[in-house]
Amino acid sequence: MKRVLLVVLLGVVYWAWQERQALADFPGILSAYSAKEYCSCRFVMGFQPAYCQGYVKQWLPLSLLEEDSQQRQVTAAGLGRRNQAAWQGPREGCRLLP
Amino acid sequence: MLKSLLLLFCMATGTAKAEVWPTPDWPIDNTPLDWQAVDAYAFPARPSAERSGIRTDALLIIRDGRILHERYAEPTSAATAHLTWSISKSVLATLLGVAQGEGRFQLQDPVSRFYPAMQAHPGVRMADLLHWASGLDWQEDYEYAPLKSSVVAMLYTRGREDMAAFAAAREAVVSPGQRFRYSSGDSNLLAAALHGMLDAGQYHDYPWQALFTPLAIDSAIWERDRAGTYVGSSYLYLSARDLARIGLLMQRDGRWQDRQLLPKPWVAFNRTVFAEAAALPGEANPGGHWWLNQPLADAARPWPSAPADTYAALGHWGQALYVLPTQKLVIVRYADDRDGSYQHDELLKRILAVLAGEGA
Repeated sequence: MKRVLLVVLLGVVYWAWQERQALADFPGILSAYSAKEYCSCRFVMGFQPAYCQGYVKQWLPLSLLEEDSQQRQVTAAGLGRRNQAAWQGPREGCRLLP
Repeated sequence: MLKSLLLLFCMATGTAKAEVWPTPDWPIDNTPLDWQAVDAYAFPARPSAERSGIRTDALLIIRDGRILHERYAEPTSAATAHLTWSISKSVLATLLGVAQGEGRFQLQDPVSRFYPAMQAHPGVRMADLLHWASGLDWQEDYEYAPLKSSVVAMLYTRGREDMAAFAAAREAVVSPGQRFRYSSGDSNLLAAALHGMLDAGQYHDYPWQALFTPLAIDSAIWERDRAGTYVGSSYLYLSARDLARIGLLMQRDGRWQDRQLLPKPWVAFNRTVFAEAAALPGEANPGGHWWLNQPLADAARPWPSAPADTYAALGHWGQALYVLPTQKLVIVRYADDRDGSYQHDELLKRILAVLAGEGA
């Protein structure tokens, strides 16, 4: 039994090592996606905040989704990561900030 | 005598004027048709909070340059520049068609000639990217498998600063041109290659100068990454009426009024099926960065209700631009489909049924 557990554990460790980059990236996806697509929903497509909140909603919850409509900038946070997107111009639309 | 001459003259000018163009705006075809079956399919009542089922935002049906039917669902309107997602890819190909007509590249040119990061993959030609057959490793999945998805990494994490560089850094898994593997990375490599074939400083205005302005498209927004490359895979926004202009350009073999904007062989390339692909039920087949109803060898038409010459630009969440050249139809559908309920074939079947009933 212990031996089986050890094999499973080693398997998980091996997989996590193989996928270390993807696993490290994963927590950032939610806030980056939400910030970028919310920014475009609001300031490119021109929809209202309530609609855009529903538009970006995923199965994992955000801890923050905030817009600065003066600066046309959006901040989203979730899974311990934070991302910002900002409107760049009438032809350029929105882009994630570094 | 004079009367018959006058009549002849009117007939002659009449035929010359018979071709209708959306200048400045789309003319309306007032043929009374019953669109109930089409609307019932495309615009079912939306459940309040849940984003499920068929959720059409816009439906625009154009026949021979005139609007036959047009409907929007709130908050989308005729004025909304809607996200097209991967329709962007086919519009990028159309833009490249203009560039090819200007003699800026040939299909067999290596991509590395225009985009130095591709020197790591010297065998990849422009045609291979247009067929989504670079042979570079790629996982094209959105929200269902975000961990392994190359497209998610490109748009939102590791690749977002310079998407073409991210794509060029993929490993080669197959020889170029040998196998279709749908990749948004391939499309962004095309967007970077376009940069390299233009004169310095020309790139940022090029989509407008080469394509949008000649077609009188004024709603376009095309987002870029931090490297300044157009996100050719995903981030073009257009009103439905403006996307239909791209459709009409294609339906008329690359000609806009008196100007052959795209070389005819370019449109023929877009519409030629890439044979190194596997048929998937209901899924259109790859052409030159457009999607075709043309069957692959030993397989049925992907959309059995539509003619085999039907082709389309297709995007995530149900975005579609269909072109039916024989019927002279251009159809734009914008949507917010979050599940797989919507079927291309069903919508096309219902639209064709409405038109078949005309005059009956």
